[in-house]
Order: sequence, then structure tokens, then C-alpha cells
Amino acid sequence: MTHKGTATFIAQRASAVALLFLVIWFLWGLSAHAGAGHEEMRLWLSAPTGWAPMGLLIAVGAFHMRIGLNEIIDDYIDSGMRGVFKLLNLFAAVGAAAIGLGSLYLIAA
Amino acid sequence: MASDRASSNRPLSPHLQIWRWTPTMAASISHRATGAALYAGTILLSIWVFALAQGESVYAPIAGFIGSPVGVLILFGYVWALLFHTLNGLRHLYWDMGRGFDIENARRSAWLVFLASLVLAIVIVASGVSAR
Ligand code: HEM
Repeated sequence: MTHKGTATFIAQRASAVALLFLVIWFLWGLSAHAGAGHEEMRLWLSAPTGWAPMGLLIAVGAFHMRIGLNEIIDDYIDSGMRGVFKLLNLFAAVGAAAIGLGSLYLIAA
Repeated sequence: MASDRASSNRPLSPHLQIWRWTPTMAASISHRATGAALYAGTILLSIWVFALAQGESVYAPIAGFIGSPVGVLILFGYVWALLFHTLNGLRHLYWDMGRGFDIENARRSAWLVFLASLVLAIVIVASGVSAR
């Protein structure tokens, strides 16, 4: 890790711990709803017990994956292009989170 | 200079082409590969939630694709990546607490993570497919 190393390191680990529980919930939810149709899936995520962990999974996942990809960019991309790739990384992560959270809002409302 | 180095008994740095696989090396590479795959997976998950919010007509073709052979393969890859990265992430967190870093433990836990993630992924996806 390069600049602001310690804070980034801690943020990556803290988000990993949160994701640990969210991923377990998600895998359980996938199994429990495998093969369900549109109506049942919507019902699942319209309850707070559905949209809350799913929203956290997408938001915390986006946060954690952006940090992770920034680190990969530092390792493989030479310094001239790093800024461009990191900006694209930011857009992709924020975009994925916005689409996911916005859609969950529509489902829950 | 070069002849000095060749004739001395000092260890040489690892060679670019001559090395062998170790489970710990494979786990380390796989952590990065699954991290990158999960980046794509999170984007796909958002698109899936988006389709779900848009209604039956948008959702149905996407659900149909997930149920197809290619869809199930992608789903299996996503589930395995989630399991591997999560279990291997636990190894990382354990090391960060300063434990389990000796070679024997690292080697054994690497094997365990590969095995457990594969078995769990097969069980989860197979049970999901048979539930349809
Ligand atoms: C949505 C789920 C997740 C996504 C998208 C994701 C993505 C990533 C990415 C892209 C990296 C960078 C890989 C690298 O630098 O080699 C990474 C690193 C890491 N992830 Fe995840 N991850 C997820 C879930 C988890 C979970 C559940 C855990 C822990 C139990 C975890 C623990 C870690 C750790 C400890 C690192 C740092 C590894 C290192 O410093 O070498 N991740 N993740």
C-alpha cells in the first residue's frame, strides 16, 4: 500500500470483517431463494431483513473492492496512468453502489 | 562481478522460470484473482437488483439466463469466488493478528481453504439447481 497506508489498511480489514457476515447472509439467502420467481424475490428484498443486509453488502462491498483494486493498480500500472485507472475504479464502484442502492429503495418503497 | 557471484555460495534470488507451485502461492494468487472476480460479481449483483426493481418483464430474461448452463457456470464461479475469498480472507485476518504465519500452518490452511470452498460451492449450487 502506498500513500495513507495505515488508514487504507485498516479500512480494508474493517470492511472485510463486515463483509464476512454479509457474505454468509447472502449465501444463505441465495440458497433459501434459489429458483424463486420475480414475486418471491421482490418480497424477500422488500422486507428490512432483506434490503438492509443486501444494501450493506453492495455498499460495503463497493468500498472494499475499490480499495482492493486501487492496490492492484498500484502494483501493475505505471505511475503515469495510475490516476486515470483509479478514477475509473472510483466511478465503477460508486456506480455499482448507486444502481444497487437506488433499486433496493424502489423495491422497499 | 558476474563470475564473483556465480562462484560464491551466497543464495541467488528466485529464478523467473525455475520454481514450483506451492499451495500457499496458489492461495495468494487466487485471493487477488477472486477479489477481482468479485468486483465484477458485485456489479452483476447490482444489475440483478436493478432488474428485480424494474419489474417482471425486465427480470424474466435475466432470470432465464441465470438458469441456463452458462448462467449456472457464472453463478458457480461467483459462489466459489465468494467462498474462497472469504475463507482465505480469514487467513489474512488471522495473520494480521500475528498468528498462524509459520510455513506448516500456512500450507495446511491453504489446502483447507481450497478444499472447503470447492465443496461448499458445489453443495450450494447443486442444491440450488435441484430446487428449481
Ligand atoms: C463483495 C465481496 C468482496 C469483494 C468484491 C472483495 C474484493 C477484494 C479485492 C478486489 C481485493 C484486492 C485483492 C488484492 O489486493 O490482491 C480484496 C482484498 C482483500 N479482501 Fe476482499 N472482497 C470481498 C469480500 C471479502 C471478505 C468477506 C473478506 C474477509 C473475510 C475479505 C478480505 C480481504 C482481505 C483481507 C484483503 C486484502 C488482502 C491483501 O492485503 O493481500 N474480502 N478484496
